[in-house]
Amino acid sequence: MNGGLLGVALRRVAIAIPLIFLVAVLVFVVLRLIPSDPIAMSVPPNATRDEIEALRREMGLHLPILDQFAIWFGKAIVGDFGRSIAFTQPVLRLIGQSLPATIELVVLAAIFATILGLSGGLAMYQMRGRAGETATDLVSTLVMSIPEFLWAIFFILLFGVALNVLPFTGRLDSGMTVGRHTGFLLIDCLIEGRFAALGSALLHMLLPALALALGTAPLLMRVLRSSLLEVTNEDYMVMARLRGFPERQILLRHAFKNAFLPTLNLMGVQFSFLFGGTLLVEVIYSYPGIGNLMVEAVRNTDLPIIQGVALVYAVAVLAINLAVDLLALFLNPKLRVAK
Amino acid sequence: MSERQVSEREMRAAAPAKMRGSLRPWTRAIIGGSIVAVIAFAALAAPWLAPHDPNEQDLLAQFLPPAWAKNGVPEHPLGTDNLGRDTLSRLIYGSRVAMIVAVAAASGALVLGTALALLAGYFGGWVDWIVSRLVELWLCFPPVVLSLILIVGFGVGLGNVILAIILVDWTRFCRVVRSEVLVVRRQDYIDAARLSGFSHLRTLRREVLPAVAPLVITVLSLEMGIAVIVEAILSFVGMSVESTIPAWGVMIADARKDIYQAVWGMVLPILAITITVLGFNLLGDGLRRVLDPKLRQRAIV
Repeated sequence: MNGGLLGVALRRVAIAIPLIFLVAVLVFVVLRLIPSDPIAMSVPPNATRDEIEALRREMGLHLPILDQFAIWFGKAIVGDFGRSIAFTQPVLRLIGQSLPATIELVVLAAIFATILGLSGGLAMYQMRGRAGETATDLVSTLVMSIPEFLWAIFFILLFGVALNVLPFTGRLDSGMTVGRHTGFLLIDCLIEGRFAALGSALLHMLLPALALALGTAPLLMRVLRSSLLEVTNEDYMVMARLRGFPERQILLRHAFKNAFLPTLNLMGVQFSFLFGGTLLVEVIYSYPGIGNLMVEAVRNTDLPIIQGVALVYAVAVLAINLAVDLLALFLNPKLRVAK
Repeated sequence: MSERQVSEREMRAAAPAKMRGSLRPWTRAIIGGSIVAVIAFAALAAPWLAPHDPNEQDLLAQFLPPAWAKNGVPEHPLGTDNLGRDTLSRLIYGSRVAMIVAVAAASGALVLGTALALLAGYFGGWVDWIVSRLVELWLCFPPVVLSLILIVGFGVGLGNVILAIILVDWTRFCRVVRSEVLVVRRQDYIDAARLSGFSHLRTLRREVLPAVAPLVITVLSLEMGIAVIVEAILSFVGMSVESTIPAWGVMIADARKDIYQAVWGMVLPILAITITVLGFNLLGDGLRRVLDPKLRQRAIV
C-alpha cells in the first residue's frame, strides 16, 4: 500500500513542478505591468540620467521581459531570488528568517481549527432537531461571515485593550531574547531550556492563531455535521443501534469514521487559505512572518521579495494539498482503487 | 481537475440537510435581502443621509465617542476619528465602495467564470483541459496573495480593485458551475435540443444556462460578501481606493494607529463589514435552499 501512496506522491510532485513554473511566469508578468518605475524608488531624487541607466543595466531591466524572466528563474531554481530593494539583503535570507514564524503560526492555527471544527460539528450533530439547533445554525452563519482579520482586530480590542490579559504585538515579551538555532522560536526555546520564553512565545501566538482558526472552523463544523446527518440512517448505523452500542461509541466509531472524509478534503483547501490568512493577521499582530514581509514589500514595491514570497506561498499551498490528499488516501481504502 | 476543489457537492453539504429546527429558507433569504437592501440604500442616498462631509476635518473634536457614551456629542452620533472626521458619515460613504465592489466584481467574476465553465463542461476535450489547468494554477495562490500581487501590478484605484477581484475569484464560479454543467450535459433534453437543430451556442444559452442559473445566483450572492471582505483587506493595507475615498478597511487601519483612543472607530467599521457580509451570506444561503430542487426535496424528506 505504501507503494501506492508513494506513487501518488511522486505523480503529484511531477504535476507540481510545471505548476510552480507557471506561477512564477504569472507573477513575473503581472509585476511587469507595474505603472511606476521600480528604478525610481531605489535611486536618490538627484540621480542623473546616466546613473539611472547604469542601475537599470545592473538590475537587468533593460533586457526584453523574456530574458529578464529567464535570468531571474535560472537563479531562483538554485535558490538565488535576488536582493531586496528596500532591505538590501538577499531575498532568500529574508524569507528564511520569517518563514519559520509563519509555519509555527499556521500549525498552531490548524490544530485549533481542527479541534474547534470537529468538536463543534459533533456537538451540532448531537443537537439535531432540538431547539438549540436554530441558535447554533445562526451563530455559525454569523461566525462564518467574519473573516479572520476582523477576528484578529476584535481579539486585540477584547483581550489586549479592554481586558489587558494577552499580548498582541510581536513574538516575545520585550527584553526577552532567545538564540537562533533552528529558526523555529518554540523549538529554539526548548533547545535553550528557556521555559519562560516558551510560555511567552505561546501566549503571543494564542490570539493570532485563534483568529485564524475561527476563520476556518465554522465551515469544517458545518460540513462535518451534514456528513454525519447523511450517514445517520445508513444500515450500519441502524445495526449498531440495534446491537445496543452506546450512542457515544456509535457516533465516534461508526458515524464519524465514515463522515470524516469530506471534512478532511475541505481541510486541505481551508488550511491553504489559512496560509493566505496569515498575511493580514501577521500585519495586525506585528508578527514577523512572511505575511508581514509580503505586505511590507507590497508597500515598498519591492519586486524581488514579492516574487520570492509568492513562490513560497504557491509551494506551501501545493504541499498542504498533497499532504491532505495523502492522508485521505491513507485513511480511506476506497480511494486507493487504481484508476 | 483534482479531487482538491470544493465541489458543488460539498457546497450543498455545507448547508444542513435537515430543515426542521432551522430557519426556513425564505426567511433566511428575506432577512439577508433586507440587510443588503438597507446598505444599498445607504450607499445610493449617502449625500442625503450623511450628516457631514466624510472628509471634513475638525481637529478640535478628535476621537469623540458615540453620542450615547460619556463625552459624546449629538452632532457626531457615532463619534469622530483621529482627524475629527464624522464616523457615521464615513461609514455611510464607505458603503458605496463596498457595494460598488460587491456588485461589479462579483458580476464580472460571474461572467468570466461561468462562461469558461460552460465552455469547459459542455465541450469537454482540450477546452476542458485548458480551463481546468488554469483553475489549478489559480488555486496555487491563497486568494489574498494573488489579489495583492495583481494590485501591485495594476496600481491602486477602484477600477483596478474590481478587476483584481474578478481575476482572482472567477475560479469560484468556474469550479462550481463546471461540475454542474458536466451533469446537465448528459441529460436527454440536451441531446434533444441538438437533434432538433439547435446550434451549440443556442443549446448553451437556452438549455444549459437556465439549468445552472440557480447555482450561479447562489454563488453570486456569496461572492458579493467575499468581494466586500477582499476590498476591506486591500484598503486595510492601503492598496485599494485613493485615500480621499472613505472605505471601511481604511477606517479600521486609521483607527488601529491609535488603538487605545479609537476603540469605537475600529468596532463600528468591523460591524459594518460583518453585517454586510452576513446579509449576503444569508441571502445566498437562503436562495440556495429555495432555488435548489434537490435540497428542497431533501428538506421534505
